Amino acid sequence: MRRFITILKMDLVNLFKNPVLVGYNTVFAGLLILILGYLCGGDYSESKTAYQYYTVSLIVYGMLNGAMTASNCFMERDIKRANLRIIYSPVGSFCVYFSKMAASFLFNYVLHTLLLLVLCPLVHVSLGSNPVFFVVLMAPVELAASAFGIFFCCVFHCEETTSTLLSTVINLLCFLGGTFFSLDGMGSLMAFITKISPVRWLNEAFFTLSCDSSLRYFWPVFITALVLSALLTAGCKLCFRTEDYI
Amino acid sequence: MDHLMTVSNLKKSFKDHIVLKGISFEIRQGEVLCFLGPNGAGKSTTINILTAVLGSDEGEIRFKGDRISKKLRSYKQSIGIVPQDIALYEELSAESNLRFFASLYGLYGSRLSDAVEEALLFAGLQDRRKDKVKTFSGGMKRRLNIACAIAHHPELVIMDEPTVGIDPQSRNHILSSIKKLQNQGMTVIYTTHYMEEVEVISSRIIIMDHGTILAEGTKESLKEDIQNEKRYIIEVEENGTMEHDDFFSVEGVKSVKIDGNTFEITSLKGVENLDRIIALLSDHGEKIRNITSEAASLETVFLKLTGRKLRD
Repeated sequence: MRRFITILKMDLVNLFKNPVLVGYNTVFAGLLILILGYLCGGDYSESKTAYQYYTVSLIVYGMLNGAMTASNCFMERDIKRANLRIIYSPVGSFCVYFSKMAASFLFNYVLHTLLLLVLCPLVHVSLGSNPVFFVVLMAPVELAASAFGIFFCCVFHCEETTSTLLSTVINLLCFLGGTFFSLDGMGSLMAFITKISPVRWLNEAFFTLSCDSSLRYFWPVFITALVLSALLTAGCKLCFRTEDYI
Repeated sequence: MDHLMTVSNLKKSFKDHIVLKGISFEIRQGEVLCFLGPNGAGKSTTINILTAVLGSDEGEIRFKGDRISKKLRSYKQSIGIVPQDIALYEELSAESNLRFFASLYGLYGSRLSDAVEEALLFAGLQDRRKDKVKTFSGGMKRRLNIACAIAHHPELVIMDEPTVGIDPQSRNHILSSIKKLQNQGMTVIYTTHYMEEVEVISSRIIIMDHGTILAEGTKESLKEDIQNEKRYIIEVEENGTMEHDDFFSVEGVKSVKIDGNTFEITSLKGVENLDRIIALLSDHGEKIRNITSEAASLETVFLKLTGRKLRD
């Protein structure tokens, strides 16, 4: 356990020392929310302002993009070479990928929570009558996204391939889920696709929490994300081979 | 000397490509065992299997009598590995890298601090301990790369071409450090394709090519086989008519290699036949531009065994 914590700390240090990842998850995400909120202006729908809409939907988008942070932490070229020494050392291979998963989860969770702490009072965005639920629900989603990124790395053995695939899948799901703008008015087929998109339901869960203070989707999303994380971790155990790190 | 490690019938293929064809060897306590071979010989694959990162298709590795697969953790604890690439966190200082990697081997507190100090001293980086690795020269990185592998005092250090692409001073520093490690009782496995390094540090040499061991022994014993030979390299203006068989009319000639305008002739040492070879060339109308004569060296041993130069 002590060695696992040592590796975890090092993974966190590497992540927090990466200006691109820190900037992407804080400054870039914050500016995007502010710009889109300002441009769309006024009320986005009956129940929410544009700022409300983009804060929630882009935080969900950021959470899903946590998968890319995980793949970077695990197999980015320079980091991967140094990580090779962890494989050489007498620690279990489980520690290698699980520490990366845990580190990217903590990294994304902390930064996204901080972003919300700064943005919400600034643009008067509500996270519901009890914002704790909102922040708590973020945790399993962030974890599932990190597990997703690590699992992809275990399968494809390469950060570049993983990032390209993840980026495509996440952006497509978010687009179809109406993260950037609502697709409801684009015909019945698009409305149907949006309706079955998992990102749509993720957005819905966070919107009902923040706008209606309703816990209707809280437990289904919480449990589904945790189960998905567990399944993906098990998948990593099956797919991870130390020789892929050479 | 006692055997620290025994490797038997190691085989490895990648898809249809056979990389190791059943190699066997042993490593003796306290020796520097050098693996010598050109690129593609199977050295790195052997090293990757010895480090337990890569599995073999067949064969067995025993460390102190135990199969490494049975006692993997304790085996990994006993070895230190210097990979071919620089395996360091560039954004961190030399000291942070050493502290982290040493702590993976169970060193904490004062034992860890002492180990880090020793490793910094070993690498000659005490003055740069707080500097980020990315500010280091290639040679300094290579030295730190080695220091990270020996900080936890392993019994066996495995080095995979640790001097690639560095300046002569850093190379000398590394080679003398390896001798120091040996004096401290560590056993070292060292792969390289630099013959001069092998001459300096090796206790024993294994020459590999195409996934097999071609020869094994001390540098003296390997050279012994060809002590009775000498090699002439004769360059002519333009080779017109000379063929292999022409040279065998001269007494003592054992082998001939013709490469354009250059003839490499191996001859028995006791036979003074250079004047007759020159006369033969003159008879065929060849104009000699240059003649060199070589005594037995590891390079000639390698050339004899593989039919090619080490860096071909």
